[in-house]
Amino acid sequence: MRTLDEKETTQVFEKLFKFAGNNLKNIVDGASHEGPDPAPGRYCFRLCKNRVFYVSESLVRRATNVGRHNLASLGTCVGKFTKGGSFHLTIQALGILAANARHKVWLKPTSEMSFLYGNHVLKGGLGRITENINPGDGVVVFSMSDVPLGFGISQRSTQDCRKLDPNGLVVLHQADIGEYLRMEDEL
Amino acid sequence: MGKQKRVILPPDLPPEVSEEAIEVSDEDLQFVNENLDYAGFVSRLDTHSITKHVTRVADLKEDALEALYEKRLKKKKALQKDEEEEEQPGIQVGRLDALPVKTLDGQLYYRPLSKASKPTEDGGEGEEHAQETDKGLVKLNKAERRAKLKKSKKEAKKQAKELPPDEVKDNPQTAVLAELKEDITAEESFETKKCKLAELGIALLADPESNIKLLKEMLQMCNDHNHAIVKLGLLSLLAVFKDIIPGYRIRLPTEKELEMKVSKDVKKMRYYESTLLSAYKAYLQKLMVLEKVSLYQHAVVRCICTLLDAVPHFNYRESLVEVVVRNISSSDEVIRKLCCDTIKSLFTNEGKHSGEVTGAAIRLIANYVKAHNCQMHPDSIQVLMSLSFDEDLHRSEAPDKDKKVKKKHYKKGNRLEESSHPQPNDRKKSRQEMMSKMREEVAADYKAASFDPDIMERRRMQSETLSAVFEIYFRILKHTMHSIVPRPNGDTGTTHVTEAHPLLGPCLDGLGKFSHLIDLDYIGDLMNYLKKLACSGGKSDSSGKCVTVSERLRCCIIAFKVMRNNLDALNVDLQDFFVQLYNLILEYRPGRDRGEVLAEALKMMLCNDRQHDMQKAAAFIKRLATFSLCFESAESMAALVTLKHLLQKNIKCRVLLENDPGGGSVSGSVAKYQPYALDPNQSGALASVLWELNLLTKHYHPTISTMASGVANLSIAPTQTYLSRLSPQQAFLDLSLERESFSLKINVMKSSNKRKRASEGAATSSVDRILEEAGSLDEGEVKKKLSEHYMLLHDIKENERLRSELDRTTRALSLYDEYKKQKKQKRGGKNVS
Repeated sequence: MRTLDEKETTQVFEKLFKFAGNNLKNIVDGASHEGPDPAPGRYCFRLCKNRVFYVSESLVRRATNVGRHNLASLGTCVGKFTKGGSFHLTIQALGILAANARHKVWLKPTSEMSFLYGNHVLKGGLGRITENINPGDGVVVFSMSDVPLGFGISQRSTQDCRKLDPNGLVVLHQADIGEYLRMEDEL
Repeated sequence: MGKQKRVILPPDLPPEVSEEAIEVSDEDLQFVNENLDYAGFVSRLDTHSITKHVTRVADLKEDALEALYEKRLKKKKALQKDEEEEEQPGIQVGRLDALPVKTLDGQLYYRPLSKASKPTEDGGEGEEHAQETDKGLVKLNKAERRAKLKKSKKEAKKQAKELPPDEVKDNPQTAVLAELKEDITAEESFETKKCKLAELGIALLADPESNIKLLKEMLQMCNDHNHAIVKLGLLSLLAVFKDIIPGYRIRLPTEKELEMKVSKDVKKMRYYESTLLSAYKAYLQKLMVLEKVSLYQHAVVRCICTLLDAVPHFNYRESLVEVVVRNISSSDEVIRKLCCDTIKSLFTNEGKHSGEVTGAAIRLIANYVKAHNCQMHPDSIQVLMSLSFDEDLHRSEAPDKDKKVKKKHYKKGNRLEESSHPQPNDRKKSRQEMMSKMREEVAADYKAASFDPDIMERRRMQSETLSAVFEIYFRILKHTMHSIVPRPNGDTGTTHVTEAHPLLGPCLDGLGKFSHLIDLDYIGDLMNYLKKLACSGGKSDSSGKCVTVSERLRCCIIAFKVMRNNLDALNVDLQDFFVQLYNLILEYRPGRDRGEVLAEALKMMLCNDRQHDMQKAAAFIKRLATFSLCFESAESMAALVTLKHLLQKNIKCRVLLENDPGGGSVSGSVAKYQPYALDPNQSGALASVLWELNLLTKHYHPTISTMASGVANLSIAPTQTYLSRLSPQQAFLDLSLERESFSLKINVMKSSNKRKRASEGAATSSVDRILEEAGSLDEGEVKKKLSEHYMLLHDIKENERLRSELDRTTRALSLYDEYKKQKKQKRGGKNVS
């Protein structure tokens, strides 16, 4: 377990910024109430076996007691660095992203299932969409009852969505909570 | 100048002619014989002057005679000058005259002033005089002229050449008139002129066809130096024109048409129309000139507005519209109101002018806004609200398209059939073609003949108008933006505060009204602008803000309206505007900002929207509850209604009603309520408790306290799921209407028991209402009764106070007595011991 170096930090933050925008500040600066310490600590990012974890400081201090090979996971896994060196967000980051999302898309109940099987979001399945989305922005996908389902990258701006035909792609799938079942082993 | 000279010339020239060689043509004789009235007048004048003159001539030599002539001429000139100076400075038009007078002496100032008041008049007047002379001639010659008209057209054209003989008669007349007028006092002349105006007007109204020439006489009266007369003249002309202007637009006949032979009636009609038109033109020119003179401005603007209102279809309406638009944001209240009303009526009564003037007026307004850099009176933009766009036009177009498509299909089908059956001979084909050709021709003829305005034409006009309207609105928005944006850099708050945005309010209103007509392509930009405007006050509200809270609220409302009206298919979540509203609620101040706007925003954004995030809804619920604690009853009622609505819709948010801070599993990532968070999603409101409701149940206003207790009981009685029909706006209005009468209520309630009020709020309120009604019926009596009542209360209180004082003193006395007794006893005891 080690802290991220500069390059890795920018990679992670860029990815997170896509989804959270200015709320990235909340992710980094937010006070944590974990652990028995009376004073609230902060959260920090730690790299462990190519995976990036979002951990409270108190937990980091305790985790130093565990050997590197024995430490399987700590805190919340946010993403992983691939062999090629690029950073991917994983589905576990959904909680953080959903709480700080800048752009949101709500799915109709009928198309929820399709998304949870790993398909992209089509215009026809769109229940609601935040205004002012630009192509390439990170979008968090919700069900109509505000349960976060996953996230992806927007393909069209909100304006364009209006004229789109029902089969047009709106959000490219990146991760969904169905992965907890489908890819249980990899996570 | 030439014309003016000619005007002055006639009076002095003819006498010489008349004395030396009077060629009385047959026609003239005939005319005199026919019109004895004229003849009598003329003959009387002639004898009057001629006998005098002849008797003298008889015993005078040639030189003396000439001297006499000169003398007479001089006298006449002097007379004329006097007349001109006294009666009609306008008639004495000659700039030539004006110049020498200027150089003379102290009188200098009088003339230029009277002239300066009508500086540009001269040009128009010159024409008028030309027309006047024409008219004088026409008047005298009318019967004769008619006779001639029968003979030949050309002579009718050469009316001008008949000038001399007329002037023969004219001249003595004016001389005598001048003499007469000298005697008449100013007052009398005023009276007579008034009467004359009235007579002329009545004559015109009675029979405009034959008396049309009187218009020019009336016009001439408007050149009077007495401004009361001028005003009267203008207004009476207005009345006349309003009445006699026909319901169509006059097109003057072309030369070719003039040459054609036409019937007598047509000729008469043409003459009538051309005279009317020229008089109208002269009148308008006069109005335009006088419009710049502050003395006449009110009357002139009234004239112009009334004309435009009454006859927007008639010729020269463009200049009318131009003047009205120029005055639309006048600083003068009366003028502005007149102009705005006129424009409004133009917009609402499009049938009068088939919509053409609307487009012209709006384009002019757009230019005006551009020229004035959006610094105008809000009324001038408010007028656009009365525009109406016919949506049926768009709809009717769509079926047309369908038809065309069908037709095409049909044709295709035909062609296919034809191709499949090439046998049918050419004759049939040619016949079909002929038939279709005929049909087309008939359709074209029908179209030309029918008075139905072309739908395509109207569509085009409407779209032009619409684009001009939106140009105005977008320009205002942009201007407001630009005036806001540089502010943080310059940091000169004081200078910018003065630069208000008078047009923003009506502009937003208009956008809201026409939001359904905005092109989808513009919506993106529009939303961006609105967002920036809505955010603009937030950063720099400490240094005096450009855009007030209510205007920012309006921006939010408009954004929602635009979205709702255009995007039924796609449900867009306007996150940024919710953030704005969340913060604006805190900035709201009851006295400063308009409560109706807030109520409307609450209704628009929170009640009408279908779904909300749980976090967001909770944040708004919490904030509204806080808000309703610290504002007046109307605002807090609106907030409470919204709150109830939100709670009923978002069942999960009812954890706020539980007495358990932390919110449990639903509280989300933020574990603690942060009241200062800017983003409703980050506030963690689900972790809080709505303790405010408990305080609100003790609100002094019975309606609010019952409402608050109702909301507080929502979680206990979840079966009660009916959605209240009351909207925040309605609630706000109800209570703000009640506000005035409520002060009285409070007084009454003070006397009643507190507990009773809480439990029997409804009963007391009904009693109050009765009281109120009584009060409205007889306020004085109620006042008396109330004062009696309070006197009584006061007495009772005084009584109580006195009693308690008495009690205290008696107690103190008794204590003292006791003390004394005890002391005595002790002493006694001591003594004893």
